[in-house]
Amino acid sequence: MGHEGMVFKPGSTRSGLPTTRSRVPRGRQIQKTFNNVKITVLCGFVTLLVLRGTIGVGNLTGSTPESDDQHVVEDIDRILREIRTDSEPELEDPLKFLYFGNSTSHNWTYTEAVEAINYSLGPTISDWNQQRQAWLSQNPNFPNQISSKPRILLVTGSPPNPCDNAIGDHYLLKSTKNKIDYCRLHGIEILYNMAHLDKELAGYWAKLPLLRRLMLSHPEIEWIWWMDSDALFTDMAFELPLQKYENHNLIIHGYPDLLFEQHSWIALNTGSFLLRNCQWSLDLLDAWAPMGPKGIVRELAGKILTANLKGRPAFEADDQSALIYLLISQQDKWLSKVYVENSYYLHGFWSGLVDKYEEMMEKHHPGLGDERWPFVTHFVGCKPCGSYGDYPVERCLNSMERAFNFGDNQVLRLYGFAHKGLLSPKIKRVQDQTADPLQVKEKLDMAARIVMG
Amino acid sequence: MLERCIGERRIRQIQRATRNLKLTFLCLLLTLLVLRGTIGAGKYGTPQQDFIELRHRFISHPHRALAEEHQPEPKPKQSDKDDEPPLRSLNNPYSLGPKISDWDEQRINWVRRHPERPNFLTKTKPRVLLVTGSSPKPCENPVGDHYLLKSIKNKIDYCRVHNIEIFYNMALLDAEMAGFWAKLPLIRALLLAHPEVEFLWWMDSDAMFTDMAFELPWERYAPYNLVMHGWDEMVYKDKNWIGLNTGSFLLRNCQWSLDLLDVWAPMGPKGPVRTEAGKILTKTLKDRPVFEADDQSAMVYLLVTQKDKWADKVYLESAYYLHGYWGILVDRYEEMIENYHPGFGDHRWPLVTHFVGCKPCGKFGDYPVERCLKQMDRAFNFGDNQILQMYGFTHKSLGSRRVKRVRNETSNPLDVKDELGLLHPDFKAVQNRAS
Repeated sequence: MGHEGMVFKPGSTRSGLPTTRSRVPRGRQIQKTFNNVKITVLCGFVTLLVLRGTIGVGNLTGSTPESDDQHVVEDIDRILREIRTDSEPELEDPLKFLYFGNSTSHNWTYTEAVEAINYSLGPTISDWNQQRQAWLSQNPNFPNQISSKPRILLVTGSPPNPCDNAIGDHYLLKSTKNKIDYCRLHGIEILYNMAHLDKELAGYWAKLPLLRRLMLSHPEIEWIWWMDSDALFTDMAFELPLQKYENHNLIIHGYPDLLFEQHSWIALNTGSFLLRNCQWSLDLLDAWAPMGPKGIVRELAGKILTANLKGRPAFEADDQSALIYLLISQQDKWLSKVYVENSYYLHGFWSGLVDKYEEMMEKHHPGLGDERWPFVTHFVGCKPCGSYGDYPVERCLNSMERAFNFGDNQVLRLYGFAHKGLLSPKIKRVQDQTADPLQVKEKLDMAARIVMG
Repeated sequence: MLERCIGERRIRQIQRATRNLKLTFLCLLLTLLVLRGTIGAGKYGTPQQDFIELRHRFISHPHRALAEEHQPEPKPKQSDKDDEPPLRSLNNPYSLGPKISDWDEQRINWVRRHPERPNFLTKTKPRVLLVTGSSPKPCENPVGDHYLLKSIKNKIDYCRVHNIEIFYNMALLDAEMAGFWAKLPLIRALLLAHPEVEFLWWMDSDAMFTDMAFELPWERYAPYNLVMHGWDEMVYKDKNWIGLNTGSFLLRNCQWSLDLLDVWAPMGPKGPVRTEAGKILTKTLKDRPVFEADDQSAMVYLLVTQKDKWADKVYLESAYYLHGYWGILVDRYEEMIENYHPGFGDHRWPLVTHFVGCKPCGKFGDYPVERCLKQMDRAFNFGDNQILQMYGFTHKSLGSRRVKRVRNETSNPLDVKDELGLLHPDFKAVQNRAS
């Protein structure tokens, strides 16, 4: 350092200023200082209080990215709650009294309730086959067959509000992609329904008015294929053997012995079935619907079904039990046109299938549709969209992911890719690109074995 | 000195007075501050606002950028790290795949060998594949997947009515081209694997069909290979980076398109390539903010710098909303319903309402979450009403999920036609060909 700063000579007095302080005694001085300190502390305290009141102490430390996220999450939660709550009031129902079970004046029986409600899917039509034929001949541009393959419409759907469980919507999306892929490969049209057409037949019964409406609006459609949103295609190469069903109108997966001998409530599965567009089907829907209307009818019907079907727990009537009961009790009328299919998994219960996918890839190949390579893996009881399922959530979600990737591998092979593993969303190239892609495509067989690794 | 002028007593008085003044002034200040804190002083603001302003100035908000990559990357696991490709250096050019130079020939031969899958459905209507997609991982925003589901339902409906096939992609084909560039390798793979497809229609997942009756004017595009929404002047004269939109465009399946993809791709690879390219784009294009290269700006740049090579086969469509920016459309739906009807595709009844900047799947977009989601619901219902009317229903209001019946069931359902004629429209008719 160059120069020196000002040198303070201790004891030097500053000239010119009156040293009034020296006149005040020491004790007084200490008291004064003490007073000042008190006032300073008081003022400081008041300042802190005021600041806390206006800004808040937490914010003084600055908001971290986590709390930023916290705000966004709270915001979204609030918006979610608003979206989920149906803020519109229910319309007053004149038959509301029937919806409450224990009415003191009358003990309803099932038949009485059905008569009182007098529900119908729509005005009775008795000449649908003729109407349809006439329309088809007048509209040759909308034939019921394309390239000698009957026209099929795959129908699926989900409720219009977001799932209670956010992951549920993600699996609905994947399930929809899965169905789009199968239908594109097989020339099938898709309809995804998100509307409640009839509030009396809500829940699993909602498919009945929908199927009827679609049959009547689309005479060019030969088969309507209902598929639950929790069912996934796991065999992309399998083609429905429609020639087997020329003399049948309802194709449904099930087991004849469970149906006729045991009267089991899971003898058939209405999660995936085909219904021909014809008069018989309209009549079936009309005979099927009466157990459906919400409220006392559904409750009483549920009791009848539990009493008559083996293994059925006590709950309100569902469409599957009702159909089984209908087919058993009116066998002569309906059974001749029903094909109970179990030579392939038109519906495949997931629990026994999902752990075997690797084994299947090793030993078999797509196109079989049966226990060697299931056509459809159906996640009955998982309910990823709701809050409560019958199985542990983790197992359900992992299994759905595996089933999705198992099916997706069969689609990706067309482009030379495959998933890294059945639980992985990432893909890897399994076939090198060439300058002659159509040679590869010519040789590609959808039903060939899938080689992993 | 002063003392000598006025007198000691006076001095003390003055000192006391100044002290009192100081105290009064201090108390007044304090009172004002407290009042401002509780009641607020209008345009002079409140302490809360001050604080927020200060925060904004000193702590940057990373989520205000337009770049898509600002969805926080999950911590990479060891296995993930292993297959992350090394960042490409600037002197290592990227290629989408082995060069093909005879694609038109290869394609024609294929189509000839497979007459059961023709590339034209009728004399004028080509076979179209609509391509869209989203990430295979669940959305960060808990309602994001729900809106993706509604969006795909909306596309399924339009494509069923118009006889268009759909491909929903959930796979990242090339990790280098992640983000908005992911569509390039996908488009190339699809073109090569589907020679029967004449036009590939790329559509973003945040774009919705709002005119179900509008059929694209395919004859108009016979001489062109790439159709995008945009304006010639804005692209070629102004060099504006939003002169066209790559959220919804048509690409013909031909050699020209493969060549275009090859020339479009180089700005895409993640890392220094994309960053440097972004700088070039911001410098060359009008109004472009500073961020890494995106496919849309790169397309504008390509057309501007190589106009002679490409422009003659590119059609910038502005007669209808092949892409319609949502901000100017969504508040007018009720007005449209009152004054017009479906089938126009333009400002009177937009074909596509595209929710640019909303990003319902991620946590941060450029617009408030509430407005985006509510408007997406309205746009969805606006389009859905046109589908529901085929079956005799409609939504109770544009904001409501519930539907109500507008046409009674009859015992002669085939005598009744739907108002818009969407059940059996001409553009869905199958051409009867002698087998």
